[in-house]
Amino acid sequence: MTFLELLHIIVPILTVAASVVAVLLKDLLAAVIAVAAMSLLLSLEFYILQAPDVAIAQAGVGACLTTAIFVIAIRATKRMEGEA
Amino acid sequence: MSTRNIAAVIVFSIVTVFFIFTALLMHSFGVPDESDMDDYIIENTQEETGANNGVTAVVFDYRGFDTLGEATVLFTAVAAVIMIFRRLKND
Amino acid sequence: MTEMSKIVRTITSITFPFAMIYGLYVIAHGHLTPGGGFQGGAVVASACAMILVAFGSKWTIDKIKEKKLSAFESLGAIGFIALALLGLVFGVAFFNNFLTGSNFLFGNIPPTGSVFADINTGGVLPLMNFAVGLKVIAGLFVIVLVMAYATTSFKGVKK
Repeated sequence: MTFLELLHIIVPILTVAASVVAVLLKDLLAAVIAVAAMSLLLSLEFYILQAPDVAIAQAGVGACLTTAIFVIAIRATKRMEGEA
Repeated sequence: MSTRNIAAVIVFSIVTVFFIFTALLMHSFGVPDESDMDDYIIENTQEETGANNGVTAVVFDYRGFDTLGEATVLFTAVAAVIMIFRRLKND
Repeated sequence: MTEMSKIVRTITSITFPFAMIYGLYVIAHGHLTPGGGFQGGAVVASACAMILVAFGSKWTIDKIKEKKLSAFESLGAIGFIALALLGLVFGVAFFNNFLTGSNFLFGNIPPTGSVFADINTGGVLPLMNFAVGLKVIAGLFVIVLVMAYATTSFKGVKK
């Protein structure tokens, strides 16, 4: 098994793990950081699947601008998730 | 276990089975079933549009109407955000 | 959003030009290397959002008003549609690439295969990249800027 095949297995598992962490966390700011990590790992997966333009768009929009918009929205509302 | 939980378990199992079957039916990476359009674009992009980047040639030349729709979506999003938050600022 | 500490502002001042130049490079070389108007515009808008977070929304909105950014966004959209309509005027159809093969601007045709890049190729594709890049930079940055400024002012009034 080459290094690239190993990377094809590890990166999607880490992506799914980051999104599960984002669902489970009660602190919304930490959840937003987990979503940003998920988006960055997805960008890496696009890059190793030989789609560099999609990777650039995902890293710019998903990992930076979406995180900024979520953090601004959290600052205007509450930080902790309510016990429903 | 309530009725709602049982229904949730059934729906989750059905969706999981469908996803697993879809993953098993996928053909291998880089071997499409129909490749006429791909071959035409790869062979003729450089002499028809003059661009070395085939993706940009497809996005802006062969499939220009899709890009026009995407631009419309972005314009609508910006207009909606400015319409909502201008009211909030003046309060 | 108030401004952050001096360390964050210094690091932002150092790293901002690199991100900006990378994004503008992706836009300008969209017909040669991976990327294009949307990707480069997203990178440049990310750099501008970094400035907004570090220096505060009051400082940023004093430098550039959101009405000006909105005008730039409309200018990009009008340029894109105008280039498409010029294809109808000078060529045969909407979105026709009428500059390819002409000796006017971006008119060279590269030989087929893996060749060295020539910036003077592509027809209307570089111009469309510039139009869409301007539209995406202004559009994505004005969303973040207006949201940050509006929520800051809203919390100040509420207290």
